[in-house]
Amino acid sequence: MHLTDHISDVQLNEYLDNETANRAEIQVHLDSCDECAARLSAIQALFTELASLPEATLSRDLAAHFFPERKLPQLPRWLTLTAALQAAAALVALIVTLPFLPVILTQVELPSFTTIFGQFQNQWRAFLNAFSTFHLPELATLPIPVMEISTLLFALAAIFVLWIFGNGLLLRNRS
Amino acid sequence: MDATADRDLILCARRGDSEAYGNLVNRHQTSVFNVCYRILHNRNDAEDLAQETFIRAFDRLHTFDIEREFKPWIHRIAANLCLNYLESHKPAFSLDEERDQDKTPGPGEQVEDKERSRQIRSALASLPPHYRLVVELRHYQDLSYDEIASELDIPLSAVKSHLFRARKLLAEKLHAPD
Repeated sequence: MHLTDHISDVQLNEYLDNETANRAEIQVHLDSCDECAARLSAIQALFTELASLPEATLSRDLAAHFFPERKLPQLPRWLTLTAALQAAAALVALIVTLPFLPVILTQVELPSFTTIFGQFQNQWRAFLNAFSTFHLPELATLPIPVMEISTLLFALAAIFVLWIFGNGLLLRNRS
Repeated sequence: MDATADRDLILCARRGDSEAYGNLVNRHQTSVFNVCYRILHNRNDAEDLAQETFIRAFDRLHTFDIEREFKPWIHRIAANLCLNYLESHKPAFSLDEERDQDKTPGPGEQVEDKERSRQIRSALASLPPHYRLVVELRHYQDLSYDEIASELDIPLSAVKSHLFRARKLLAEKLHAPD
């Protein structure tokens, strides 16, 4: 390319895109040619305008499509059916027994609260006594610990309540 | 944009973690939408195509080279989808001017900027689909001539002529006396 020749628009585009091999020659020409420099400025102005286009904003969240929906765990059909049948049976039983309830209640002598509390205290004391007198047996002769049946039942009931409570907590954390 | 975070999310998404992919979409949805919007010039279509881009990308995620950047990859999927869309819907595109208008009137300078943006979008919308795409790839995705040729599967000479003619048309539209 002669320094006296004007640079074509195609060459100016390539120059601005950094896609020309003879960049140095074009630069030398641009420094001395006002006409080519003016044409370069005009193309450059278009580049600037295109770059000035602001980013538009979305009107909806495209990411929502990909986030998994949080669904409640589905119980098996047989379990829901059993629970519904149990509830229905309980309701029928309640309706059937309702007319007899006042008659039954008058025949039953309900113990007072102090009596129940006293019984509970005795059982608890017996339970503690059983523990306080308990000694680890010799391995050779392992006797069955003597324990009142009421104490044993009470211990089992306590374990059962704890078990139900523990499971409830576990299931609550999973849901 | 943190490329390492993108990589971690992609690795999780490849293992079937759709929440990780949702987070990846969250990071790139605006830029992908803008690629579509610049090419299609219709908001609704651009949003639909941007959504489609992420769905396609999810299906092809196993082919993505984890050592490369995610953004150029997803932008090219979007650009190609838009070109296919334009070619199959040739007569039916319109500039969504109503929604482009400034809904919250501000100072005079801001209104002028909005008006100039609208003119640029309008000028871009008037270009033939292939011209629009080379402008998008060159000016907004910063691809070289060789990369554009390879991406669009056209000769280098076609890239140069498309780009040259597109710019000439844009300059005529933008600098024409009102």
